[in-house]
Amino acid sequence: MDLTYSPAAAEFRAELRAWLAANIPARWAAPGFWASLDEDEAFDLRRDWERRKALAGFAGVDWPVEFGGRGGTPAMAAILDEELARARAPRSVNTLGLTFLAPTLMAVGTPEQKAEIIGPLLRNEVIWCQGFSEPGAGSDLAALRTHGERDGDEFVVNGQKVWTTFARRGDQIFTMVRTEPGSSRHRGLSLLLIDMHAPGVEVRPIRQMSGVSEFGEVFFTDVRVPAAACVGGLGNGWATAMLLLSFERGASAIGQYTDYLRAFEEIVRVARALGRDGDPVVRQELARRRVELECLRYHSLHVLTEVEQGRDLGFASSVTKLQWSQAYQGLFETFDELLGPDAALVRPTADVDLTALRRESFWTRSVTIWGGSSQVQRSIVAERVLGLPRGS
Amino acid sequence: MFFALTDEQRALAASVRDLLAGRFDLAAVRAVFDDPAGDGHPLDLWKTIGEQGWLSVRVPTEHDGLDLGLVDVQVIAREFGAGVVPGPWAATVLAGEAVLRAGGPEQAAAVLGPLAAGDLVATVALRGPGGGPGPDGVAVRATAAGRLDGIASGVEYAGVADLVVVAAIEGPGPSAAGTGPGLGLYLLDPTVAGVTIEPQAAPDGTTRLAALTLAGAAATRLPGSGAAALADLRRRGAVLAAADLVGLARAALTRTVAYDTDRVQFGRPVGSFQAVAHHLADLHVAVTMAEHAVLYAAHALDAGRPDADLAVAVAKSKANQAGADTTAAMIQYHGGIGYTWEHDAHFFYKRARRLIAAFGDSQWHREQVARLTIDSVG
Repeated sequence: MDLTYSPAAAEFRAELRAWLAANIPARWAAPGFWASLDEDEAFDLRRDWERRKALAGFAGVDWPVEFGGRGGTPAMAAILDEELARARAPRSVNTLGLTFLAPTLMAVGTPEQKAEIIGPLLRNEVIWCQGFSEPGAGSDLAALRTHGERDGDEFVVNGQKVWTTFARRGDQIFTMVRTEPGSSRHRGLSLLLIDMHAPGVEVRPIRQMSGVSEFGEVFFTDVRVPAAACVGGLGNGWATAMLLLSFERGASAIGQYTDYLRAFEEIVRVARALGRDGDPVVRQELARRRVELECLRYHSLHVLTEVEQGRDLGFASSVTKLQWSQAYQGLFETFDELLGPDAALVRPTADVDLTALRRESFWTRSVTIWGGSSQVQRSIVAERVLGLPRGS
Repeated sequence: MFFALTDEQRALAASVRDLLAGRFDLAAVRAVFDDPAGDGHPLDLWKTIGEQGWLSVRVPTEHDGLDLGLVDVQVIAREFGAGVVPGPWAATVLAGEAVLRAGGPEQAAAVLGPLAAGDLVATVALRGPGGGPGPDGVAVRATAAGRLDGIASGVEYAGVADLVVVAAIEGPGPSAAGTGPGLGLYLLDPTVAGVTIEPQAAPDGTTRLAALTLAGAAATRLPGSGAAALADLRRRGAVLAAADLVGLARAALTRTVAYDTDRVQFGRPVGSFQAVAHHLADLHVAVTMAEHAVLYAAHALDAGRPDADLAVAVAKSKANQAGADTTAAMIQYHGGIGYTWEHDAHFFYKRARRLIAAFGDSQWHREQVARLTIDSVG
């Protein structure tokens, strides 16, 4: 057993921590700072900061050097997540491109795709969206209907995507499209890269229950896409999508743990300000949530160990998703319950403003839906990890 | 970074599992369970345990032990839990911890060698009737001359023990915070005058519990003991109990998955119904977390980490939950047969219930978590 990091990783942490200390304004860490900004203002600030972070060498830390990365270890990637959360850095505005598209291109992209796409993505010059879900294809991705008709060396794409994160601010979208007429389910699909500024692409924001419009709908009307803008082979979209989604596996949740600890402490301060932190029932409930957070930490250390040993976690990554999403959501259920008689108010007392924590509380309702809902994850664990017979 | 079992520890787990399955299967457990008047201490099994070195894990090499950590102990404890194995292994290991950590050199020499070899059965008596796991739960007092008076309850295998580690209040007792002097751990030979051992009826037939009544019983103080030593022993006991619980929880889940894979109703395996499958998936997540938490707590104690207190409270809380939920599900998802005496499910359920209450129940440990994580927020 050894909970220490290698000298190289420790050195990386020190370097990163110094850079973050010099490059994150103190006011960013104040509770409510981000909630106080206009959405576009917040996006621009995050985008610009993330670009500076990339130029300073703190993006793609575990990517190969040939793709502009740092060639670091999984431990360094986990340290990056942990330190970003500790420094209250804003979350990435290009997560989907960085987490999913880039490693997919590294694995199966053409030389041109690798050369043209990965660098600008890493430097945050191009914001990438993901076009998977549709109104009739949520958890059941294979039901998707967006289609592309072949016309010379182009596809003419028509259809609609939904729940597209940062749709309004996106530049490009990697999109699952049915490119073989008459095909059904997993066959005849292709992963196409579509310019969101091209004629025929229309974006409509969707206002979320938290009040912000982080995601939206994307409509394609006779959008012309070069056939060369396909990743992983025409008609091979399902396999490419599965490969793409697999890059989420093995990601350590240590960054989430660090972030949720921040939420836990903010909630404790609210409980104290409301005179509720001495209530034995409140203490039991907060402790119950804290137990789940600490388990997430231990679990993350275990996952990191497995990944560093070169093991593929496979479907066990569903366990990680279930644990972090439910621990996070549960923490905010306790938040809602400890507020007391004035729980309905934004300001239950003169010195307690719940705006930011409320927004986060609403946000936690989404984490058990996106990225594979808890119900989908449980089916995966039941069938693929426990080996229970498949449901009919 | 390495937070996992080593290949050697995995091999140890497999060898304990195989040996227990071969030498002490559920039919053997049943024989002990169905004989509550018996001493619950199968001698053949004890001989095997001694020969295998499972009692010597923590004992220093100078006393012919393996000098390993609690991480290795919890590997074995999990397998005892998985097999709901009776016998005083855990009690003896824990008594050894007390001598190892608070005993003088002569006490260590007298106890640890025989203990490692399986020549000595030992146990701990740390609380009175209804008493919690802290100093305020102790109902035995020690005189300055080392005579013990009072009662200890729920003492595992007191009836077959050659040695009992007894917690006793000294003088005015420890401070309200449970620190400082005023508490000692004593080595007691249960055959001396002034010791009465009364078996206590208990639903979990995989162990034997007894009350110890002491009236001027002569005992020897462990010189390094105090309120802190009791807390240390309580933490180690909690990790041992939690390890047993996660082993038991994993086994309960695995057995339930196997049964519901085969059992057909409405023309399909019961385990293919989402109502069942999704709950079992949630239990897998809970057991996995409890396994990691126990591993971390054992390591935190081995390494003297500053977060050891929190780690133990987290591990015991989570293991309690995993143990309670999986054994209840084991009964539920076996249907009617799971509710019978004839089926083995109740061994798991009843053992879990005993261990959940041992060395701090869930509420007690959650209050420790609250103390350590709520009150410290600035």
